[in-house]
Amino acid sequence: MVSHYLSLSIILFCLGILGVVSRRNVFIVFMSIELMLNAANLGFVALSRLHVNMDGHVLALMVMAVAAAEAALALAVIILLHKHKGNLDTNIFSLLKG
Amino acid sequence: MITTYLFFAFALLAVLGALGLILFKHPMNGAMSFVVTLISLAGLYALLSAKLIFAIQLIVYAGAIMSLILFIIMFLNIQEKDLPLDPNRWFYLAGGVIVVAPIAGLLIKITKTLPATEVTVFEDGFGGVKEVGQLLFTQWLLPFEIVSILLLVALVGAVVLAGKRGVN
Repeated sequence: MVSHYLSLSIILFCLGILGVVSRRNVFIVFMSIELMLNAANLGFVALSRLHVNMDGHVLALMVMAVAAAEAALALAVIILLHKHKGNLDTNIFSLLKG
Repeated sequence: MITTYLFFAFALLAVLGALGLILFKHPMNGAMSFVVTLISLAGLYALLSAKLIFAIQLIVYAGAIMSLILFIIMFLNIQEKDLPLDPNRWFYLAGGVIVVAPIAGLLIKITKTLPATEVTVFEDGFGGVKEVGQLLFTQWLLPFEIVSILLLVALVGAVVLAGKRGVN
């Protein structure tokens, strides 16, 4: 049943939101965002199977490319902030606060 | 029938991995349980007969991106004392569940209205490399080029950010 796949996608997305909201470790926040991207991918592929149309697969490929770009940039930012502050707490990274 | 059992096995593994990601204290344990989620998602893609996405999920996501993240976690050499304390973690988690659960319930109820097609694995070329590639390079050519520019910009940005020398 395709609706089971979509329900799983919704559950994974909500777990990703909970990870972003409840954790302060910057790595866990980052991987929760990746989890949300993966949940969206599962939704694309499941709907693509429902309509027997491969556009969803191409969109999932695009999302994976965006996730790879995001991983490269976010890890660079994490390394830079760790070098400056020596910590991984998201509450310390408040450089834009006046 | 076997696809249903496989779906429930993979779904259970995926949810358990995601729970481990948001509950483990050390990011290394979280990353390892996130790898379990990614691999079981690859299995779900195979059940949905998305052959190319299955292979790319394993090679690029569970392979390249996660090993990059694990490499950075090990590179920063995080000790137990460097971790944030998270005193309000359960409080925020409970609040998040209270906010998110009704929305999730509503969305899951909406998915029940979809036509109940049984998921069977296609034997023909649906989702294969050739078919998806033809679609990607004909109808989706412009988005593909834009994504390649995005990757180039991200690469240059990462080099500029992380490659800085002698910042006070």
